[in-house]
Amino acid sequence: MTKGILLYCFDTEQTQYHLLLKKCFNQIEKYLKLPVTVVTNQQTYLNIKDLKANFCIVENKSGNTRFYRGQNVPWHNMERVNAYDHSPYDQTILMDIDYFVFSNELIKYFDTDYDYLLHDKVRDITGKNSILGKNESTLPIVWATVIIFKKTEKSQLLFDAVKLIQKNYSHYRNLYRIKHRNYRNDFAFAVAIHQLNGMIDNKNFIPNPMFMLPHEQDILEFDDTGVLFKYDKKIGILQETDVHILDKEFVNV
Amino acid sequence: MDIGKLKEYSNLAQDIALTKKNALEKCKSRQIFAYNNRLFRADAQTITLTNTLKSHATTFVILDVNENPCQIEDPETFLKILLQKNQETINGYQQVLDKFKQK
Repeated sequence: MTKGILLYCFDTEQTQYHLLLKKCFNQIEKYLKLPVTVVTNQQTYLNIKDLKANFCIVENKSGNTRFYRGQNVPWHNMERVNAYDHSPYDQTILMDIDYFVFSNELIKYFDTDYDYLLHDKVRDITGKNSILGKNESTLPIVWATVIIFKKTEKSQLLFDAVKLIQKNYSHYRNLYRIKHRNYRNDFAFAVAIHQLNGMIDNKNFIPNPMFMLPHEQDILEFDDTGVLFKYDKKIGILQETDVHILDKEFVNV
Repeated sequence: MDIGKLKEYSNLAQDIALTKKNALEKCKSRQIFAYNNRLFRADAQTITLTNTLKSHATTFVILDVNENPCQIEDPETFLKILLQKNQETINGYQQVLDKFKQK
């Protein structure tokens, strides 16, 4: 049974995502030691073609935005719904390129018979619980940052449902009273899981919270064992723990 | 009252509390392991339950972290893994706390 990592990377005018990808790739090479497939566009590919990865070149959709440090910036996140088709592996870890592994903890989730697993809880490593606001929607949020899935009928149904939700996102946004106007995979997957489970709460998730550093906080140092980050007027450290980092400027650190 | 000293103490206490919480979450996360296609946490509750059931039956069914049933065919090995994972992770947590004792 083949296993591998699937990443999506599209540069924008504001953010050189390929720099994040390179850091993410190095961490995967060190800790997970699995083959990597990168889905990207032609323009971004020119900056990452030296990586020892498989590449899948697509023409990405554009037009979506996200709020980042006081402004709306372009966000090319619409292709992830095709992950089931893009993945050449029987078992895949689909992860955002701003999720950095500092351990091999994700590997253990391959050894289960869950069709797919993702986080439904998050831990703000600054202790402020500032990631998730109140009343963002009427359904429980899930985090599409890391999705471990097998090529099974149930997983295919999940991704098919997400495609349908993305296509008719304004309808589902109204239905579930999702506060955010932009398209977010987190909500699309949350809706899909809710619908696939017969509109009943689902319990099959990664059992521990995803560690996350909010975008307001800066990374001061990043090496292959952990990160040093600034919060308030203090400095925190996180080592040997996988973390989702929302600060995008740190790629220059 | 020395406000400066109070502030310094409060800042240090916040640092310690945050590091402890992150370390504890890391410890709990590392306690998760896959067994017989299911996910288990090597915590006190699972260890106690396994030990109790083991003394009454040679094989039994327990719920995994997502409340899915799992047949435990070899309770001895399962308990060994639980104890090893539990102690590994809690020792790691203790080491983090020991660093702060000096402060």
